[in-house]
Amino acid sequence: MKRLSILLAVMGAAASPTYAAEQGERIEIKGELIDTWCYFSGVMGGPDAVVGSAHHTCALWCSAGGIPVGLLGEDGKVYMVLKIDGDDTSASGDTLLSLASHQIEADGLYYERDGLNYIVVENVVSDNGITYRNHEDYGPVPGFALPEPKE
Amino acid sequence: MKKLAFTLCLMAAPLAAPLAAQDFSEGSEAKTWNLYAEQPARFDAKVVDILCELTGDCPENCGDGRRQLGLLRAADDALIFPNKNSQPVFSGAAEEMLPFCGKDVEVDGLMIEDPDVGAKNIYLLQKIRETGASEWTKANSWTKKWAAANPEAKGKGPWFRRDPRVKGHIERDGYFGLGLEVDQEYYEENF
Repeated sequence: MKRLSILLAVMGAAASPTYAAEQGERIEIKGELIDTWCYFSGVMGGPDAVVGSAHHTCALWCSAGGIPVGLLGEDGKVYMVLKIDGDDTSASGDTLLSLASHQIEADGLYYERDGLNYIVVENVVSDNGITYRNHEDYGPVPGFALPEPKE
Repeated sequence: MKKLAFTLCLMAAPLAAPLAAQDFSEGSEAKTWNLYAEQPARFDAKVVDILCELTGDCPENCGDGRRQLGLLRAADDALIFPNKNSQPVFSGAAEEMLPFCGKDVEVDGLMIEDPDVGAKNIYLLQKIRETGASEWTKANSWTKKWAAANPEAKGKGPWFRRDPRVKGHIERDGYFGLGLEVDQEYYEENF
């Protein structure tokens, strides 16, 4: 009976999980800091068009507007950035705004929860600026990001 | 013993079949954005500071607006990430949820799930209310808060054309972020 009680207690705990804070897994990852809403929602077009120089102005708008910034890794995964270089202002923060569309190499702690990837960037190892010059293919995305020249 | 085995099987069943397949659209009054992967979703949740939830780094009042906030869904304990408020102006959802930090709430909006781009538990928040409250709060206050915080930027046009920080970056690096000469080249070739 004692064994049964223990078994039931273990099963009960598993049935109502509590996610204690974790240490995170140290990773180094290279990728572009993107605006996640446009990337995930498709509101401005396909994923190739809502990154890089084509989408830079929109990435500034979204970052300043408090939309979460993600690190689109070379592995194709999006890592939601919760903190970067000691700055926990993940909603409209200056650090993330200044790195909009930049390719960086990040050293940090990785977390996964309910299908989303998260990263606490402890150190920006390198900031390579904007490396994906896709405005030559797509123009500005959205088109109105670039004001028409005054007559 | 047979009865015990049966009981254990019943208890184990929910573990093997998680609640992810639940339909949260019942009762939703969310307005469509005509997005490819949107689904109306209305559910009960607790408003949490995501960084705190994952790492244990927990400042007062969910970081007072600095941090991204999440919704810990009551039905299955899933952490939902609201990326967007209800205004179509490049504005997030954290500011809308901050008054509800740590509280149990009901929310209505659109869930975005698109495995092709890794979108899972991404949410567009349209309205929120504390559990038991009768009145909803629309998730559309971001621009008013921005205007209050940026009185020097008062003027015509949408906020994102007037935001001092955004303007500073564009004046320095151009609309493509590659320097003003790249913008100039684009203008010359396309207009």
